[in-house]
Amino acid sequence: MNSSTESRGIMTREQAEATLILEARLLDTRRLDEWLTMFTDDGIYWVPLDDEAPPGSVAAIVHDTPLRREERVYHLLHDDYPAQSPPSRTVHFVSNVEVVSEDEGYLVRSNQIIYEMRTGDYSQVGIGEIRPIVAQVEHKFQPVENEFLISRKKVLLINRDGWLGNMTFLL
Amino acid sequence: MNTQSQTPELHDAPIDIARPSTLVREDANHFRVHTSAYTDKTIFDAEMRQIFSKVWVFVGHESEIPESGDFKTAYIGMQPVIVSRAEDGSINVLVNRCVHRGAVLCREARGNVTEFSCPYHGWIYGINGKLIAISERREAGGYDDDFDAPKGLFRVPKVDTYRGLIFASFNSDVVTLDEYLGPGKKLIDRKFGRSPEGKIAIRGKPFVMRYQGNWKFQAENIVDAYHFLHTHKGFVSLQAKYGDSTGDFGLHKGKSAKAMRQLRFKGASWSLPRGHAQIENPMADTDTLLNGEFADYYRALLERDGEEEFASVVGKMTGTLFPNLGIIHQQLRTWRPIAPDLTEVTIYLYDLVGAPDAINDGMMGSQERFYGPAGHGMVDDVDIFARNQQGLAGSAVDWLILERGLKTDERLATGEYRGLPASEAPQRALWREWQSLMNQA
Repeated sequence: MNSSTESRGIMTREQAEATLILEARLLDTRRLDEWLTMFTDDGIYWVPLDDEAPPGSVAAIVHDTPLRREERVYHLLHDDYPAQSPPSRTVHFVSNVEVVSEDEGYLVRSNQIIYEMRTGDYSQVGIGEIRPIVAQVEHKFQPVENEFLISRKKVLLINRDGWLGNMTFLL
Repeated sequence: MNTQSQTPELHDAPIDIARPSTLVREDANHFRVHTSAYTDKTIFDAEMRQIFSKVWVFVGHESEIPESGDFKTAYIGMQPVIVSRAEDGSINVLVNRCVHRGAVLCREARGNVTEFSCPYHGWIYGINGKLIAISERREAGGYDDDFDAPKGLFRVPKVDTYRGLIFASFNSDVVTLDEYLGPGKKLIDRKFGRSPEGKIAIRGKPFVMRYQGNWKFQAENIVDAYHFLHTHKGFVSLQAKYGDSTGDFGLHKGKSAKAMRQLRFKGASWSLPRGHAQIENPMADTDTLLNGEFADYYRALLERDGEEEFASVVGKMTGTLFPNLGIIHQQLRTWRPIAPDLTEVTIYLYDLVGAPDAINDGMMGSQERFYGPAGHGMVDDVDIFARNQQGLAGSAVDWLILERGLKTDERLATGEYRGLPASEAPQRALWREWQSLMNQA
């Protein structure tokens, strides 16, 4: 252990898992303003169409800088719009957590299944249907003061190159 | 009889699924489309025969297949095709089916190959579709010398391009592409004219979405100026709060719904011959562009086009080329019917070749924010299309109303109709052509 690692603390697999579970809880209970505070000031939330192209070089499903992430959360919590009226419910399952030490902090890999459904009149098309969304997720964590914050969250959907349905909720 | 109708004479005339032309009714006061035109499987099958197999259908852009051996898959109606670039540079549109026993040849959406080989029995075809080899042809139990061998994959008989857009038709007798596009070419010229070279290039992989609704809802909607402030009310409110700070890049100007309405309800809407449609709003004051950050770029376009055309090129323009292509902002959008109540929409963002990187990057970021499956706009439209289809289950209401602005549409000698900005003239273009083609049994 070198001195810089010592000063910023170590992220164990248990800690990483607890952080991802906390994030899942915030997302699934719509405590989205709190979710925003899990990122660094320049943190990126990225859901690529093409993960071989550098972020920002081609269009992505989501490529959110901090202000765009804030905007997305504001939209979900405050605006009325067809894609989220009625809104989605989600439940995130987090598994296969691995922690890799990097120069800048830690890379945490996980596999996630996110079940999503639209609430409302379940007799209607698209309402009440439970959809599984399957992804390999990578969080980059950086030490900031006494905690680890997300500098980049990448969600790699296994069906990213196929057709997608309504994805206007948070992954 | 529809007892709740104020226009019994319009509604009481019987409709006949076997005569689809009865499903569109137009008179001086009305323009109505029957529910079954969106829901009925017989009608859908007739559309595949009488529309998608008869006219020019968009299948791709040349920048998707620049090199020899490049291919992409597409559909003409329900028929799967391969669009390939052969060694001689020619573009081939081939039915994606081994002519032996039917297996699909190409399982990738795009790529580069030296030949197409069928995994079932090993028949091999060139990139141009020509049959190169039949495996074990002359072995015992094989084919005789007089075997009536096919020449190769089924070639879609008509293939042509306009400014890089690739169209194909199963109809050998179809009019030339030039004639088919007609005044719709102006839309393409102006949209692509924002490139100093008049060229576009597809950038990155497309957004692909599906919705549980009829294909014509998408075709109608992309040229619908009327819906924006309603369907996208939530976005309008978001835009009022965030403006350009999150990368809108000036696409949705106006700090309030009122300001946005004033900006949007300007210009004209068009119902063009052959089902093409457009909405346009030439830029009133181009000084901000000519003296702004990209002055050199805009001044070169002005030099090339002259003042009047320049105002149209840099103004707002959105259009459809019937039956399956839309052009809006910097994207090509195509929709593929799968069933009466299932449609796939593909959005290709493009770069203007030779334009400043900051413009292409800005347009990409803005469209990513609005149009992707997690974006703040397109998904609202798609949600409405499925909601429309769901609503049509209430079939006691037999007709849909598409007569907004009917009386203010001005019919020109060329057969075009010029409408006021938020008229439903563009939607009527589709239905007039639909009625005409569906009537030609």
